Amino acid sequence: MTEAVRLDAVAKDYGPVRAVDGIDLSIPRGQTVALLGPNGAGKSTTINMLLGLLEPSAGTVRVFGDSPTGAVRAGRVGAMLQESGFAANATVRELVELSRALYRDPLPTSEILATADLTGLAGRRLDKLSGGQSQRVRFAFALAGNPELLVLDEPTAALDVESRQAFWAAMRRYAATGRTVLFATHYLEEADDFADRVIVIARGRVVADGSGTEIKKLAGGRTVSFDHDGADPARLRGLPGVLDVRLRGERAMLSCDDSDATVRALLADGRGWRNLEIVGAGLEEAFLTLTATPGKE
Amino acid sequence: MRAYLVFELRRLVREPRMAIFTIVLPVLIYSISSGSGGTVGDVTVAKYLMVSMAAYGALVGALSVGIAVSHERANGWLRQLRITPLSPTQVVTVKALLASLLAIPPVLAVGITATISQGVEFSAGQWVALAGLMWLGSLPFAALGLALGFALPPQLTQPVSMLGVFGLAFLGGLFVPVEVMPKALAAIAVWLPSNRFAELGWSVAGEHAPPAAGIAVLAAWTLLFGGLAALSYRRAAAQR
Repeated sequence: MTEAVRLDAVAKDYGPVRAVDGIDLSIPRGQTVALLGPNGAGKSTTINMLLGLLEPSAGTVRVFGDSPTGAVRAGRVGAMLQESGFAANATVRELVELSRALYRDPLPTSEILATADLTGLAGRRLDKLSGGQSQRVRFAFALAGNPELLVLDEPTAALDVESRQAFWAAMRRYAATGRTVLFATHYLEEADDFADRVIVIARGRVVADGSGTEIKKLAGGRTVSFDHDGADPARLRGLPGVLDVRLRGERAMLSCDDSDATVRALLADGRGWRNLEIVGAGLEEAFLTLTATPGKE
Repeated sequence: MRAYLVFELRRLVREPRMAIFTIVLPVLIYSISSGSGGTVGDVTVAKYLMVSMAAYGALVGALSVGIAVSHERANGWLRQLRITPLSPTQVVTVKALLASLLAIPPVLAVGITATISQGVEFSAGQWVALAGLMWLGSLPFAALGLALGFALPPQLTQPVSMLGVFGLAFLGGLFVPVEVMPKALAAIAVWLPSNRFAELGWSVAGEHAPPAAGIAVLAAWTLLFGGLAALSYRRAAAQR
């Protein structure tokens, strides 16, 4: 069994809303994978199904060949959820000790505290922690059992830059031990810096899957737009450097991975395109390009 | 599961607010109102009221677990526990056990007060029987507390629990003995778990076994509230 996670045609509906729309996914053991997507893309829903907190409306989820709940009960999964609270009036150490006691083969307490950078806070009560500290405690709770698969849902949301760096340093130490790590984020930088593989999710579907560099190339493109004057979209798509063409009213919008070549070709074309604009496509833009449904603009 | 129980017990001991809260009111009411002599049935008023107030405190204690559960559900802690090897049944069992443990301090406190202020005399066996029965008998209320905690948001759980406590205590004859209640209310009282719960204690005071009918009523309520708790837990789990 070399596969840690497998999703086959997984979908989830909330009433009439389809949050996850047919995701197929296979994550081999030992990989650090980022689930990248804008808010509302279906990342958290996917993660909750992966952990057995939600039942998929369709499709199957397997974790180490077992059902999600089975894998969780067997102590093979540790997870850090968004904004999950703690029992009040317990201390950091007590919480870590509780987590250790629930798993068969936990990490030593001192190692957990050191990894999550909590050594100085062990005696602190959980309701007396800052946001960043709480987040590190969630991380400590998730990794205490030394799980084979660690799942983190937007672990650095609400952290300042310094805490964020400290957190990723801790995460890197853990991933270096050969464990499988899956984390959700909406920062491309994080995904690129810390994951071996980036899976982009938008509108409940996988829209891209590759190394950080590959995804960055997709997301780092530019949009060239101009008054199209009734030009044929198919011809525009044939220009060098163009990935996709959309017509919006008077404007033609070209998603480009090499806008320099596209612009050179446009100028050489001799048709005198008017109101030419070149803008860098942000991640959001890239997601939209990747998920644009033809004919439904 | 043992680790989780220890974790919860330690929290309970660290913050004894709830336990103290369950003690104060019953002891106070007992101290004010136990002066009169006489008997209720075959039991002196001093003993009868001791049991009534112990039962009332136990009710408050057992139901209070719902308030904690409701908070922990709202803030995501229970969800976090669900992604550990701990099963939901184990979590609920620990919570129910904690709830029933909270039924014991008021029984002891009111017992001590009665002994000191009214010279109530119980044999050692009676004390053990009283504490044991009040502990076991608090199970339906623990289940009710859990059902409320899983079903209601935190801001509602507290008032609803308190309403439940007072309703059950009053209608169950803990404040006014069933013997002096209007006929219609008395007819309702004997079907309530609170009345049958206190009856366990009154039986100990009267030195006879609790009637089988009482135990049957308690068992039925335990099943009903337990079923409600399971149902509301499943619904709560499905929501988040």
